[in-house]
Amino acid sequence: MLAYILRRIVATVPVMAIVALFVFSLLYIAPGDPAAVIAGDQASPTDVERIRQSLGLDQPFLVQFGTWLWHILHGDLGTSIFTSLPVASLIAQRIEPTLSLMAITLILTLLVAVPLGVVAAWKAGSWVDRTIMAFAVFAFSLPVFVVGYVLAYVFALQFEWLPVQGYTPLAEGLWPWLKNLILPSLALGCVYIALIARITRASMLEVLQQDYVRTARAKGLGQGNILFVHALKNAAVPIVTVIGIGIALLIGGAVVTESVFAIPGLGRLTVDAILRRDYPVIQGIVLLFSFLYVLVNLMVDVTYTLVDPRIRY
Amino acid sequence: MDRRTLLKGLTGVGSLAATGGLSMPALAQGAAARTLRFVPQANLANFDPIWGTQYVVRNAAALVWDTLYGIDATLQPQRQMVEAEEVSDDGLIWTFRLRPGLKFHDGEPVRSKDVVASLTRWSARDPMGLMIKAIQNELTAVDDRTFRWTLKQPYPKLLLALGKNNSPCAFIMPERIAQTDPFKQITEYVGSGPMKFAKAEWVPGAKAVFEKFTDYVPRQEKASWLAGGKQMLVDRIEWVVIPDPATAAAALQNGEVDWWESPIPDLAPVLKKNANINVDIADPLGNIGSFRMNHLHPPFNDVRARRAVLMAMNQEDYMRALVGDDNSLWKPLPGFFTPDTPLYTEEGGEILKGKRDLAAAKKLLAESGYSGQPVTCLVAQDQPITKAMGDVTADLLKQLGMNVDFVATDWGTVGARRAQKTPPGQGGWQMFHTWHAGADCISPAPYTAIRANGDKAWFGWPSSPAAEKEVSAWFDAKNLDEEKAAVRRLSKAAFEDVIYAPTGFFLSYTAWRKSISGVVKGPLPFFWGVSKTA
Repeated sequence: MLAYILRRIVATVPVMAIVALFVFSLLYIAPGDPAAVIAGDQASPTDVERIRQSLGLDQPFLVQFGTWLWHILHGDLGTSIFTSLPVASLIAQRIEPTLSLMAITLILTLLVAVPLGVVAAWKAGSWVDRTIMAFAVFAFSLPVFVVGYVLAYVFALQFEWLPVQGYTPLAEGLWPWLKNLILPSLALGCVYIALIARITRASMLEVLQQDYVRTARAKGLGQGNILFVHALKNAAVPIVTVIGIGIALLIGGAVVTESVFAIPGLGRLTVDAILRRDYPVIQGIVLLFSFLYVLVNLMVDVTYTLVDPRIRY
Repeated sequence: MDRRTLLKGLTGVGSLAATGGLSMPALAQGAAARTLRFVPQANLANFDPIWGTQYVVRNAAALVWDTLYGIDATLQPQRQMVEAEEVSDDGLIWTFRLRPGLKFHDGEPVRSKDVVASLTRWSARDPMGLMIKAIQNELTAVDDRTFRWTLKQPYPKLLLALGKNNSPCAFIMPERIAQTDPFKQITEYVGSGPMKFAKAEWVPGAKAVFEKFTDYVPRQEKASWLAGGKQMLVDRIEWVVIPDPATAAAALQNGEVDWWESPIPDLAPVLKKNANINVDIADPLGNIGSFRMNHLHPPFNDVRARRAVLMAMNQEDYMRALVGDDNSLWKPLPGFFTPDTPLYTEEGGEILKGKRDLAAAKKLLAESGYSGQPVTCLVAQDQPITKAMGDVTADLLKQLGMNVDFVATDWGTVGARRAQKTPPGQGGWQMFHTWHAGADCISPAPYTAIRANGDKAWFGWPSSPAAEKEVSAWFDAKNLDEEKAAVRRLSKAAFEDVIYAPTGFFLSYTAWRKSISGVVKGPLPFFWGVSKTA
């Protein structure tokens, strides 16, 4: 197993290299010019050109890519064109809110979606099942920003329980931290809950028809024991797979959620960087997210062995 | 139901709920009253007011850096850091003396050598600065508080150049910082303005913090825009960047922020209904919408095609698309200069007045030789102003019989592509929309878009010797009457050659909680004189 994990980690290197080349090329050919954005609307074309030169954007593709790659290999993600701050510092400033948002959303999702899916499968065809699945379809269809606005209206403006926007670091206390994350996590989690609930139901339905479940019932095991100990474990492989794939969904959703709730996370940093063509920042974030995604997939693969002992690497 | 309608509805109901009283922020009362939380128009992504000329940078910089002169509400430059100035009879030698007791935030006194370095850096980037630099003999520090500017020819607008509020302003920095290449960004933010920049708390894209500079010595005169005594009545100003307008509106209603610089017109009615919020016009100088044509390529390289656009254009269509039904937010503009300012003129603007004559416009367009080739319109969709104007233009050009190539893109792409002089089929363009702050259109000095010096002109590269002659005449004018006469002739020439097509004059709102007082109307948010009760 350890050898497998090491092999997979080593395999991320060429993956990251391809991602790096792809990201750099994409940004190079994409329209837009950070120099024009920096210079402002009143600047003359000469000013714009001077700024391009000072940023090294007038250099050929291979020179720019080589310089960037050389720095990456030395652990330097570069410097933001706009803020003059190191990209690593910008990411460090922003990573806590995003990870917090994703972690709370993930916990919330697992706590809600898996039981809902299990219950729906157990009561398949009943009104309970239909209600849960109707909720899932509804939640899956709602755009994140709509859910966000509705939640903010109800819980912030109407009841005055929670703030509309912002983020408080965990270091300033658990409740202040959580208070700012509840609404964004609910908004972001809606789609994810719907997805996991549906997958859990489908997977559980298949498992609940297996002979060993009938045997367990015949032995007189309790319903909870059958559902959550015997059946769920065997239904877990596809659920874990979708949870892993769903991380990408969370990353995409975080961009919208962070904008709606004004959370200073990586999602907003990404949007700002794209709109301004802050290439080093975009490249740094995409590399980071790619690495996270590769890591999550590795964790998913490792988790398979925990839920299904038949799987060996 | 579209997204904006939904937001409006949600915040509208929220506003009604809020009128009943809202929870106060979880700050101690004293600290809350000393901290002003402000939502700026945009993200403060960089903080070098010479390198980056965006308005949001200028607005923040005005807190941290002071200027030698400051423009007041009557648009006249007044002494700010300068105690007195003297000009030789021939207008060639200007001698300035700094006020005593001026200090930078690092405790060092402001010296003439700092001023010389700052003006040198500024004059490499600013249009007026470049003009002065071109006629400069030397700029020298005479002693710690005196500096001298010697010119080869008189420049009557020198004090205006040093005090203007258009970006880049002539901010004064310590010499070691001001020696930075003007095309490279500074990394140390030390000024002598009324507030210090808390760099450690800066999260670009989210938050910027300014703390009161206790050693600041304000002038004794009453504050008026960038002039007079900049008395700070709060200890701390937090800029909270909220990119989503509905969220900003909700945060203002909820008391999480105190002042929102630029609410969108859609949300203004909702905020106006809230008993705890004031909504008013932000800047009486407003903005001028622009339909910018490329003078290098057909069809707009022919003045008849450009005039056809003016003949067919209905400014009300553009302004309604921008501000909706709120008539207090717009007015027609048959001119190029800011309404209600001394140089405003409608000379030559008859073509924009009265009933629109589409048939005559079509005829003129045909005479220009237009025969159905695609007209590439660059329309930034991420800027509500350009998006709205672009939609109206697409319809207008189609009505004129043009083959519209509507390039829906983002502002970053427009910014890059508009610099291309190549033909439209090879990456170039035929028209794009933008807008100019009214403060930039009060005179020809900061008004880059009115210049028509061909290759050196702003994007679109108009060439009009007649207009350029009048720009020079304005710079040489000895008094207001001469200035007005020059600008009238300039306006006439600008319309005849259609340097660009103005789409109208529009205003925007600003909104603040009633616990805030002292907010004044102006081209930027002025924080001096603003106080807050808990």
